[in-house]
Amino acid sequence: MIHDYLSLSILLFCLGILGVISRRNVFTVFMSVELMLNAANLAFIALARLHENMDGHVLAMLVMAVAAAEAALALAVVILLHKHTGKVDTNVFSLLKG
Amino acid sequence: MAQNVSYLGMIPLLPLIGAAVVGILHLATCKKKRLPDQLYAVLACSTPILTFVLAVKVFFDLNGLPVDGRALTHEVFTWFEVGEMNISMGFLADPLSSLMLLFVTFTASLIHIYSIGYMAGDESFAKFFAYLNLFLGSMLILVLGNGPVVMFVGWEGVGLCSYLLISYYSEDRSNVLAGNKAFIVNRIGDFGFVLGMAFLFWAIGDSGFDYISLKTNAHMLAPATVTLVCLLLFVGATGKSAQIPLYVWLPDAMAGPTPVSALIHAATMVTAGVYMVARFSFLYVHVPTVGLIVAWTGILTALVSAIYGMFQNDIKKVLAYSTVSQLGYMFAGVGLAAYSAGIFHVFTHAFFKALLFLGAGSVIYALHHEQNIWKMGGLKTKLPLTYKTMLIGSLALAGCPPFSGFFSKDEILYSALASGHTGIWVVGVLVAGMTAYYTFRMIFVVFHGSPRDAHAYEHAHEPPAVMTVPLVILAIGALFAGFLNLPSLFGGSQQVTHWLAPSLAEHAHEASHSIEIIAIAASVAAFAIGIFIAYRKFGKGAEEPVYSGFSSFAYHTFRINELYDVLFVRPYKAIGSAIGNLIDAHVTDGPVQLIVWFYRQFGSTFKLLQVGYVRVYAIYMIIGLSVMSYLLTQSFK
Repeated sequence: MIHDYLSLSILLFCLGILGVISRRNVFTVFMSVELMLNAANLAFIALARLHENMDGHVLAMLVMAVAAAEAALALAVVILLHKHTGKVDTNVFSLLKG
Repeated sequence: MAQNVSYLGMIPLLPLIGAAVVGILHLATCKKKRLPDQLYAVLACSTPILTFVLAVKVFFDLNGLPVDGRALTHEVFTWFEVGEMNISMGFLADPLSSLMLLFVTFTASLIHIYSIGYMAGDESFAKFFAYLNLFLGSMLILVLGNGPVVMFVGWEGVGLCSYLLISYYSEDRSNVLAGNKAFIVNRIGDFGFVLGMAFLFWAIGDSGFDYISLKTNAHMLAPATVTLVCLLLFVGATGKSAQIPLYVWLPDAMAGPTPVSALIHAATMVTAGVYMVARFSFLYVHVPTVGLIVAWTGILTALVSAIYGMFQNDIKKVLAYSTVSQLGYMFAGVGLAAYSAGIFHVFTHAFFKALLFLGAGSVIYALHHEQNIWKMGGLKTKLPLTYKTMLIGSLALAGCPPFSGFFSKDEILYSALASGHTGIWVVGVLVAGMTAYYTFRMIFVVFHGSPRDAHAYEHAHEPPAVMTVPLVILAIGALFAGFLNLPSLFGGSQQVTHWLAPSLAEHAHEASHSIEIIAIAASVAAFAIGIFIAYRKFGKGAEEPVYSGFSSFAYHTFRINELYDVLFVRPYKAIGSAIGNLIDAHVTDGPVQLIVWFYRQFGSTFKLLQVGYVRVYAIYMIIGLSVMSYLLTQSFK
């Protein structure tokens, strides 16, 4: 039973990773990150049920709070980037190229 | 045995304080309203006079002690302690240094006073006096130092002041170059001095490195070490005292103000080499071969510079070469182990050469900085006092009895003859004749005959009393100083020799009066012949000669400066630029550049990883996290 939950969690997480590394649109990348966070939440809740304690729930709530805060910040950054360049393509922002 | 007296430390300290006070006042006020020159003059002249008073006190204190215990010491502080080397800043006054102390402070006082007149109206009057005071302080450290290291402090100090004062009129580039030359040539000599000191320390330095301990331990030295140390120390002396081959700086040093030439480059600093040899007489006396080298170097220097002196046109150059020549005599004296004769010549020379330079200074002052003797003439009537005092100085320099130079020079020549070094004696007598010739050539051309430059002659006038009074006092010294060491032939008792005896490792030459009479007769004859030729050629006025052949060669000082330029200066510069352009750029810098290249390559390899795309960094992060997770799981198994 627990294997199914964890397998789903891994699947979602891998989809998230794939999205982050393959997509160029900032919003898609952002959504993929959210997907990864929720995959982790799923694993927390499933394991909490398995072990019958509340630690996993606490962590899941914490992750949600962090995700909300991060969303607010990240969207603000995206708006600023868009104001500067008029684009939401991550390949445009490559100032760190050596 | 040696008495500890604390006022000894005050003697070098006073002029140094004077230098600091005058120098700081000058620096603080030179940008704003200048303080009156009289203030500086009083401040700067008071210190040499005070030190002279202290020097007299030292003399009388020493005189009150028994003959074999005549030494006053004072250790101010421990300077440094490294391993077995324990050097204290200490002073020693024994008969030798007290004699030096007396005439150094005496001439310095007079020359300080004279400078008030000579330097009046100078832009940086105070700076000049600060340097002079600094010089005096260094010279007194040199003379009073209780060991070679403290002496070396003074030795370098006087070298520095000499450099500063030669380049005093620094608007003129040639003066600066003359200062540089003096400094660099002196460095060569100092190198020898330092090496000699190091060898001496290496051999017997463990058990004390002051003169008294060195003297007691000198017997432990191997003869080869003594020879080496004495030769190296003499190299130092040739630099400071302008002997062959390092004499070239002294004539150029005349670029400085005339009182400086009188004080530093005639009376005091340049005799430091002679003093040093006499100081180390306890070493030199064991190596007569080195002594002979010293003596021959001295007498050949005397000969060569006397030849130069006969053909110079600049009044100060004539005196400069005569100084080199007289220093040669002194080295001949100390080289032949007649230390007291050498030091006595230092003593009398200080009077008459300071007098001659100051006299030349007052001529130059009267003629508004004209130094060419062929533009002077007939000044006897215009500058009667200067003429009379300079005549006394010249007679002393030329060795006319009974002036001071006669007795001291004669004693050196007599010891050469008595110790069987006839060659040195013959050259010495020849040089005595030449000295008389060039000295009176100068006197006749400058003061006798008819004026060559009517305009300058009309405006010439005797300088103020502040300049002439020191001339008169020095003239009295030049006249009578010789009687202090009257030989027994004239009914004297050689007081200076007896006074110096405890400080020097001297063996008196016992010779018959007949040899002494021969020596005296020869030098008086040489003097008479020299003065006669000078009178015949220049006595009734003469035109400026056109130098050709040998005289031109001698006028250009045998082209020694050009020779040194070709032999040393240019190769040295060539080596320098070769090192700069080839070795430094390729050999030394090569490995450094290689390392730079390596890092740059290393960096540009890793640069490839920095693509700048967020996605790629995410991949790196995932790879990293994966590896870490894998390792964690492995470690939990």
